[in-house]
Amino acid sequence: MSKVMSLHDAIAKYVENGDVLATGGFTTNRKPYAAVSEILRQGQKDFIVYAGPGGGEVDMLIGEGRVAAYINCYTANSGYTNVSRRFRAAIEQGKLVYEDYSQDVLMLMLHAASLGLPFLPVRLMQGSGLMKYWGISEEKRQSMPKMENLKCVEIENPMVPGQKVVAVPVPRIDTALIHVQQASPDGTCIICGDEFHDIDIAVAARKTIVTCEEIVSNEYIRRDPTKTRIFGECVQAVVKAPYGAWPAQCYDYYDDDDAALKEYDKASKYQDKADAVTQLAKAAAKAAKSLEKAPADEKLKAALDAAKKAADAAADGSLIPETFEDYLNKWVYGCKDQAELLDKIGGSRLMRLKNEPHLGYSTTH
Amino acid sequence: MSDYTKYTKQEMQAYAIAKNIKENQIVIVGTGLPLIGASLAKRAVCPSCHPIVESGLMDCDPVEVPRSVGDNRFMAHCAVQWPNIRFVGFEANEWLHDEDRLVAFIGGAQIDPYGNVNSTCIFGKGDYLQPTTRFTGSGGANGIATYCNTIIMMQHQKRRFIDHVDYITSCGWMDGPGGRERAGLPGNRGPQMVVTDLGIMKFDDETKRMYCAYMFPGVTAEIVQENTGFEIDCSRAETFEAPSPEIIRLIREEIDPGQAFIKVPKDK
Repeated sequence: MSKVMSLHDAIAKYVENGDVLATGGFTTNRKPYAAVSEILRQGQKDFIVYAGPGGGEVDMLIGEGRVAAYINCYTANSGYTNVSRRFRAAIEQGKLVYEDYSQDVLMLMLHAASLGLPFLPVRLMQGSGLMKYWGISEEKRQSMPKMENLKCVEIENPMVPGQKVVAVPVPRIDTALIHVQQASPDGTCIICGDEFHDIDIAVAARKTIVTCEEIVSNEYIRRDPTKTRIFGECVQAVVKAPYGAWPAQCYDYYDDDDAALKEYDKASKYQDKADAVTQLAKAAAKAAKSLEKAPADEKLKAALDAAKKAADAAADGSLIPETFEDYLNKWVYGCKDQAELLDKIGGSRLMRLKNEPHLGYSTTH
Repeated sequence: MSDYTKYTKQEMQAYAIAKNIKENQIVIVGTGLPLIGASLAKRAVCPSCHPIVESGLMDCDPVEVPRSVGDNRFMAHCAVQWPNIRFVGFEANEWLHDEDRLVAFIGGAQIDPYGNVNSTCIFGKGDYLQPTTRFTGSGGANGIATYCNTIIMMQHQKRRFIDHVDYITSCGWMDGPGGRERAGLPGNRGPQMVVTDLGIMKFDDETKRMYCAYMFPGVTAEIVQENTGFEIDCSRAETFEAPSPEIIRLIREEIDPGQAFIKVPKDK
């Protein structure tokens, strides 16, 4: 039976409000941007999100207010943005319900989910704030039916009396979103390069949506079973989405889009126009304060001039920098599907991102 | 800057990193300075080392400087592409087998005298749930600090070197001798040193408290103390050797020619 469907239909059919949602990929590599963009367009929300090492894909969901709880271990477009900015702002404003685990523990939790384990004992996080501080209290957890009752609990290892270990819950994932290089209509997947946690979430999720660079026949994908990584019966939908990880990387196919990741880095500083005006005014006030302390400092004087100019231009509306909202209007809401997105990015730009086979990346990205 | 006899603070740090990598060591690196240091070790100082990254890519030898640990630049030039969980298992098994081959570089925003590191958030006027400044979170650092000896990379500033960190993301020596064991952590692993832009801090064998072991050329004990938010013993400090012009040439011309992580001032 063919599981091939359009991106629209796959997201409409398999992504529901309140889902425990897991995304594959690693910060800026093989992140399922096409699928996340379609969710943003369709409006599903209230997710409990597991992203492994997250990047822009989870930052966009948070910025758009679609996340009921985020289970974090690391969130950044590494090398472009030190800390994902909507994630950071949401936490600093007290607007995000979240939990912190170490990356090791979070990835082991996702693996444990793929193994069907009831809970997971680890010897990690001991002595650290990761055990001491809970983002989501026991009481709050009771009001969230899809959340496990505890973040973690120290127990005695029944096999080694006296040894303290940490028990952590195993998530029950509703929907996994992964982007792969090749898939066949029956759902079989080829992942080139590091698998990350993609196989784990594909096995663990009730519903797995695969977007892929290429669809190949069921016969073709079986020619070399050393390359296939996901059993088709774990997959509900197969969607052809070329450059579906853009602006992230996709091994053997393309590199990250340097310009787009830099654009997102800048734009995501400001939620929207009003936020840009407020923040630029604050920056100007801060620059003025710095100058008060050292009135003779030429550098501070120049910094204040620049900050004031930017704040004034934003306040009177003559020049407001690109915001997170603008970025999404341009690259997500302004494209009805992946084809429109690719037209907007443009042929020559996509060609520049193409992997150079002798290197494994692009020198012109 | 084409004058290789002059070097920046960052270049000095990269050299200090390279000098602290030993023969045949398995070196856990992130991106940024530790990667430049490890690349320098691999090429010039200690070619037998094996750089690995927490995404699970083992024995990495990238041609171009990667921007993240999951970058195609690591993936295309490594020995094995493991998923992260294998990396975690490898790290734990090294300890279970009582092997002492691993050394890891981690960074952070705050550090206390016992090498406990915060890379989660600064509470400021708020608390953990609504901090003044939020960072990425642990990444692989907590597991690394649990099972491996670490070298911590920090900018040497008074607001970063403080008596108590807001949140311990990566455990150091906890509250001193026996602290790790009491917390359920391997006691024979822990932070070995802190490489800053001023020098190299180590931890006293007896008290586990930080002291200054090396100062970089031009740095004095006064400068170190001024930039440390707790009392630090500099009486044992020696001066660290300056990098040779050949080392600086390697960094600028071969390892990071695009200045992805080490910025070099322009010739005037």
